[in-house]
Amino acid sequence: MSDLKVLEQSVIDFSNLKKEPGWFQKLRKAAFTKMTMLELPSFEKIRYQRWPIIPKQTLLESRKVELDQKRAVGNTVVQVGSRTLSLKLTNELKQKNVIICDWETALIEHSDLIQKYFMTKAVKWDADRLTAAHLAQLTSGLFIYVPRNVELDEPITSYLTQDARDGQDYVHHVLIVAAENSRFSYLENRDTLGNETTTANIIVEVIAEQNSHVKFAGVDQLGETTTAYINRRGYLLDNAKIDWSIGLLNDGNIIGDFDSDLIGAGAHADVKVVAISTGNQIQGIDTRVTNYGKHSIGQILQHGVILSRSTLTFNGIGHIIKGAKGANAQQESRVLMLSTKARGDANPILLIDENDVQAGHAASVGRVNQEQLYYLMSRGLHKEGAERLVIRGFLGPVLTAIPAADVRERLIETIEGKLINGQKFEKVSR
Amino acid sequence: MSTLEVKNLHVEIEDKEILKGVNLKMATGEVHAIMGPNGTGKSTLSEAIMGNPAYKATEGEVLLNGVNILELPVDERARAGLFLAMQYPSEIPGITNAEFLRAAINARRPEDNQIPIREFLKKLDKMMTTLDMTEEMSDRYLNEGFSGGEKKRNEILQLMMIEPKFAILDEIDSGLDIDALKVVSRGVNEMLKNAEFGTLMITHYQRLLNYIVPDVVHVMMDGRVVKTGGAELAEKLEAEGYAGLRDELGLDVVLTDENV
Repeated sequence: MSDLKVLEQSVIDFSNLKKEPGWFQKLRKAAFTKMTMLELPSFEKIRYQRWPIIPKQTLLESRKVELDQKRAVGNTVVQVGSRTLSLKLTNELKQKNVIICDWETALIEHSDLIQKYFMTKAVKWDADRLTAAHLAQLTSGLFIYVPRNVELDEPITSYLTQDARDGQDYVHHVLIVAAENSRFSYLENRDTLGNETTTANIIVEVIAEQNSHVKFAGVDQLGETTTAYINRRGYLLDNAKIDWSIGLLNDGNIIGDFDSDLIGAGAHADVKVVAISTGNQIQGIDTRVTNYGKHSIGQILQHGVILSRSTLTFNGIGHIIKGAKGANAQQESRVLMLSTKARGDANPILLIDENDVQAGHAASVGRVNQEQLYYLMSRGLHKEGAERLVIRGFLGPVLTAIPAADVRERLIETIEGKLINGQKFEKVSR
Repeated sequence: MSTLEVKNLHVEIEDKEILKGVNLKMATGEVHAIMGPNGTGKSTLSEAIMGNPAYKATEGEVLLNGVNILELPVDERARAGLFLAMQYPSEIPGITNAEFLRAAINARRPEDNQIPIREFLKKLDKMMTTLDMTEEMSDRYLNEGFSGGEKKRNEILQLMMIEPKFAILDEIDSGLDIDALKVVSRGVNEMLKNAEFGTLMITHYQRLLNYIVPDVVHVMMDGRVVKTGGAELAEKLEAEGYAGLRDELGLDVVLTDENV
């Protein structure tokens, strides 16, 4: 059998093993057939096509692993590879009929909801090679459904670890549905276990129905040997709002594709991204907001820091579709270079097909503000410490939006660590 | 007792010589004032002493306790005991005032003897009370969105928290109303109760010197100190103006704002 045939058979075997509903297996087969005919998606100024970005391996369950008890508190989901180690629903969630379950369970118990929302609205499965491969080779995921009029006091938290112990591909899906008038926060922590060379294909869909409000915070810390495609996309109906706060602190090569489709009138997406690139890594971030709805509002704020020999590219795309009268598209992308050997790019792209709109953009690639540095140093702070403070201030807008204080603290620590390493590199290479 | 001495200091900015041989000497326990018309190099002198990299010393020395510090970067000068209350302090979003102050204090202490948080907060509270600052100002981002007066107060707060040996106050009175001026002066006078502190104030106006009384007044013109005297010199200047002093000294200097 050819590799492709082996892979196809493993998709069917895996689907049978998991007792997936017929419609889902059929969809997987369709995606499998179509994927080789589809192109890889292209992003302005990001060349990743030669990376090992396409998952190719037969589908397998991950090896067993111990649960880290510290993670399993509150409204928390802990997954490692394809395994769900802990999934607890607090009384609040149970009383309010919130659904949180792993992918396997979701397909069996909530097949109708999955069929309605999965890769039909936010991300279309046949959009490109990566989305089709995602559907065909999906091995695990998470489903969250917050019913109408439900407001949650506590954020829902997930720890989603990519398993790189055995070099297995990681194809993971998160589907979040915020029904009409619902309101909640979701915090997603992603990292890597193990250090074999791996490919990750991650898609997160957030469907925000009328008047719902989702605060989405994502902290990505995938490992150095992981090459990942991370697609997070919002689909917003009338007056829905999604506040995205995404921290990209990965160590490997990353394509980040963060989109929001403002379908409904008055829909509002506020996207904040911070990224740090270190070592030899390349991170390409393509953040887009598309205004379809009248009076819809899209705001993009991206701040990044590049160290050592790394590369960071920010594309900010504001697209206003004809008919979206009164729409507003604003964006700001800034890259701070700490190294003379690093490469940074900030590309503002405005595509406007309607006259009655507001739009604006700002972009820059620069160095640490010398006046600020002088001011801090004049108070006795060492140059490196002063530099880190200025950078932390620069990354502040996203850091402050992270809902959990302990996660925020850890994030700041991680950033400190990356900056200290980067500063060491600068000293040595000077 | 510590000493700060400026000897024959020449300084350039963008290849233009601004200071043309400044001499002055002071010790802790003393208050010195530098007065002079616009454009004579008063701010340049303060930035050059502190170590702003944009200001290039081409000749002369700045001695702190007899050691030339001109080769030291700004942070080392600060840790050696110098402080400059700036005319235009930077705004730094994302870092709170309190966090910054603690980092500044800890930069002067060994890693294993950082200031305990309780002790820090107690001190901060005390100093903020002296300066009529509201508690929320410590949680605001460093100078971000501060009014001119708030920024000046914040400079003095940093001075009081850091407790340097010598503080240069660069036009700390500009943009302050009488009430704010009194508050800022109160902070400086509080510091002066400590014998191990001296200050060099740069000002256009005699008014500030009513609140912080100088022991010595230096007058600068055209990049040099042209006259040094006691507090009465400032009063004389107030009455006769800089042009009067220039003519009395027979200097061939054009004052920037003359006949304007």
